[in-house]
Amino acid sequence: MNNAYLTYAAKRLGQAVVVILLAYVFTFVVVSILPGDPITSVLRNPQNGFSEEEIAEIIAAQGLDKPIIVQLWHSLSGFLVGDLGMSMRSNRPVSTLIAEVLPSTLILASVGLAVAMILAMLVAYGTRFVPKRYGQGLLRGFPSLFLSVPNFVIGLVLIHLFGFQLGLFRVINPDSFWATLFAAIALGIPISAQIAEVLIANLDKEAEQEYATVARSRGLGQARLFARHLLKPASLPVVTVIALTIGELLGGSLITETVFGRTGIGSLVQRSVSTQDLPVLQAIVSLGAVVFVLVNLIADLLYPLLDPRVKILGGQKRRPTTADETSIGPSKAVTP
Amino acid sequence: MASQDRLSAALIRAITVAPAPQPATPLLRVDGLSVSYGRQDVVHDVGFELGRGKSIALIGESGSGKSTIARAVLRLLPNGAAASGTVQFEGQNLLALPERRFRPLRGRQIGFVPQDPGNALNPVRTIGAQAMEAAALTDEPNAAVRKALILETFAQVGLDNPQRVFDSYPHQLSGGMLQRVLIGLAVLPRPALLVADEPTSALDVTIQKRILDLLSRLQQNLDISLLLITHDLAIAAERTDGLVVLKNGSVQEAGPTSAVFSSPASAYARKLHADVPALNPDRYAKLRDPRLRQHESGQAPKIEVSAVTKTFAVDGKVLTAVDDVSFTVPAGTTHALVGESGSGKTTTIRLLLGLDEPDSGQISVAGERVSGRSQQSLRSIWRHLQLVYQNPFTSLDPTWTVESLVREPLDRFRIGTPTERSEQVREALANVGLGEQLLIRKPGALSGGQRQRVAIARSLVLKPDVVVLDEPTSALDVSVQADIVEVLLTLQARLGLTYIFVSHDLALVRQLAHTVSVMRRGSVVEQGSVADIFENPQHAYTASLLESIPSGISATRPLVQPKQRRLSRQEQIA
Repeated sequence: MNNAYLTYAAKRLGQAVVVILLAYVFTFVVVSILPGDPITSVLRNPQNGFSEEEIAEIIAAQGLDKPIIVQLWHSLSGFLVGDLGMSMRSNRPVSTLIAEVLPSTLILASVGLAVAMILAMLVAYGTRFVPKRYGQGLLRGFPSLFLSVPNFVIGLVLIHLFGFQLGLFRVINPDSFWATLFAAIALGIPISAQIAEVLIANLDKEAEQEYATVARSRGLGQARLFARHLLKPASLPVVTVIALTIGELLGGSLITETVFGRTGIGSLVQRSVSTQDLPVLQAIVSLGAVVFVLVNLIADLLYPLLDPRVKILGGQKRRPTTADETSIGPSKAVTP
Repeated sequence: MASQDRLSAALIRAITVAPAPQPATPLLRVDGLSVSYGRQDVVHDVGFELGRGKSIALIGESGSGKSTIARAVLRLLPNGAAASGTVQFEGQNLLALPERRFRPLRGRQIGFVPQDPGNALNPVRTIGAQAMEAAALTDEPNAAVRKALILETFAQVGLDNPQRVFDSYPHQLSGGMLQRVLIGLAVLPRPALLVADEPTSALDVTIQKRILDLLSRLQQNLDISLLLITHDLAIAAERTDGLVVLKNGSVQEAGPTSAVFSSPASAYARKLHADVPALNPDRYAKLRDPRLRQHESGQAPKIEVSAVTKTFAVDGKVLTAVDDVSFTVPAGTTHALVGESGSGKTTTIRLLLGLDEPDSGQISVAGERVSGRSQQSLRSIWRHLQLVYQNPFTSLDPTWTVESLVREPLDRFRIGTPTERSEQVREALANVGLGEQLLIRKPGALSGGQRQRVAIARSLVLKPDVVVLDEPTSALDVSVQADIVEVLLTLQARLGLTYIFVSHDLALVRQLAHTVSVMRRGSVVEQGSVADIFENPQHAYTASLLESIPSGISATRPLVQPKQRRLSRQEQIA
């Protein structure tokens, strides 16, 4: 781990923090300029029976009479120390509400990602080892098929087949092992398609490289060639793809949770949207931003460690090309 | 085997390789080999023989099928290629063997040295990890011994620090070092046959010689038979016992090297011989020499480069790419910049073209300063100063037609009316010997030589005085190179062009340049007229460059006395 890498890591970390803060501010501003004022509409609802004095008192206590910039400051400084505010509906801390449902979503998302990666690997492996006459073309068609089917459809099919027909799990007990697994499969299938597509294309490209031919001339069989030579270089772009699918994984878990009747971030979002519980929504959107930025940060920090060709120059990662030495184009190897 | 077959085998051998006592069956015997990709035949009915410990060269231009034959022997043809005929290796037909029985021969019996060392090793695995694959073929059970064997082999092929090489990734080594690694890995399991597919065409001249010397030495010390694929007749003549001349997939001529080389029977072999710069130093003397007299008449130089220095900061270190370089070029002559990769040739021409700013020193072209100009005023210089890039396969936009490619500079500089521009495009194409029927073609439908002619036409259409030629033929075959050189020299004689010719090929420089600067690590080590430098080099580096020009005479063979028995490993290292 050299100096250039640490500089690069520090720089990327700084960028990540800035992105998260900007995402928070952006969400806050969007929420506050939305038409309609959910707070006053709750307070003024005759059923709640607040008097005008009580309303003014509550508004003052929440700081809602202050200018928006001051409100932002309060909210942001709370966010930075982990205080996400209070839910307007249940009068409980937002962090507690999220902590209750987060583990369920995290389990679903990580099992879903694992399913996606395993499935993608199997399909990609199949395209190299299943002979043409035994349906290699069919395997190559899988990614585009899976991509075009929405995951709630897959979810419904799985519930029907394995839940109702085969009775592997009970819909009324959504947190059981089998129910979780099938929810994760429904979530993972469309994501596996994206990973498989990139992996297959890169395996094909690597197999055509001269080094693969030379390795075969050393007597390597297809299986060893795949495992030792092709898999690693073909997997490098997959790291980036996985990081980018995280957003989809989170969005997909919300839908999957609804289809499988799980309690998770999805059900919390659903409740908060229908009741306009702004602090909860703000916290969930910010949480999404944090996860997305962190995962991409990890991918970026991992990349130079996985690919020995990536050089870090002036805090930027780049892969040197052989053309650098001889090209007449703008000299890219030189940092200003 | 029927006695009839043995008799004919002996007869074929008597023709193809130098007569020497050897076992009855040759190591490799190719008979009636044809290869096709889909409906396209690339090799027709090729046959040759290679005896044990002997070497043979397959020679021809690209498209002659020589690499395809090599890959057919190695059974590494791409998907969709179909081979027929027989490839007998130690009496068994390789083409008919099932993969299960052929795989044990790979590496162990038949080694392969590929063309481009830069792409021949997995970029994300260490050299050591890949070397262990080759070492596994030796059946040595102990991993520590296998590793020691690798380090030993690396030392044997002339790699200074074997352990460092073992731990390196391919991109951390130079092309020459990588080719040594690949040769090492190929010979490590002691194969009986080594197939080398243009092993040096991606390397610098001086390294080329060292790699070929290494191959010849190993071939003789280890008693390996060598099948060498090359487009360079001079190299083949220096280093092999037999020659097979190929064109369009068919054998034109075959026989012992000395016979084919000294008295080629086929027209194609004669042309091949005439096109090799190293063998014909005075081929273009008539076209070139009148210019020389003009330059002695003492007019102002067209190009003046004085005391130019350029440094780059790379990874915090200061790298001096060009160090106090000066030269002048009289109008209408050719000045060559010669040196290996990293000698500063490319940086020098980038400075000359105004693409980079020198740290100090001055450059002027036709009396106008190039350095210290704005982008706008550089444009006015570029009208008089054009570049022909080295690789015509990447320098032309594949989606444009020939006409739009050649016309673009005229449009950019708004020269003449649209009708006049079309006229000038036709004239420029005619100048480089291309007909009007090519106007609507795209680069993909052109041969390498035609593409480079288009690139030359594109740079000439603005009627420049100075053309910078950056290794304009290094991506082309010898015979195509000869055509391009002829075009360039004819144009120079007719239009009075001044050329800066960047090359690492000294034989070519000797054919066409008037003056030369030899560069090494950013500085000029020697400069003067081509005749002086080539006949009487003062600097040891120039002398070593000159030595690397293949002479075509196998004076260097045998480098080592041929051994009657295979040496033990200990002896080989000693």
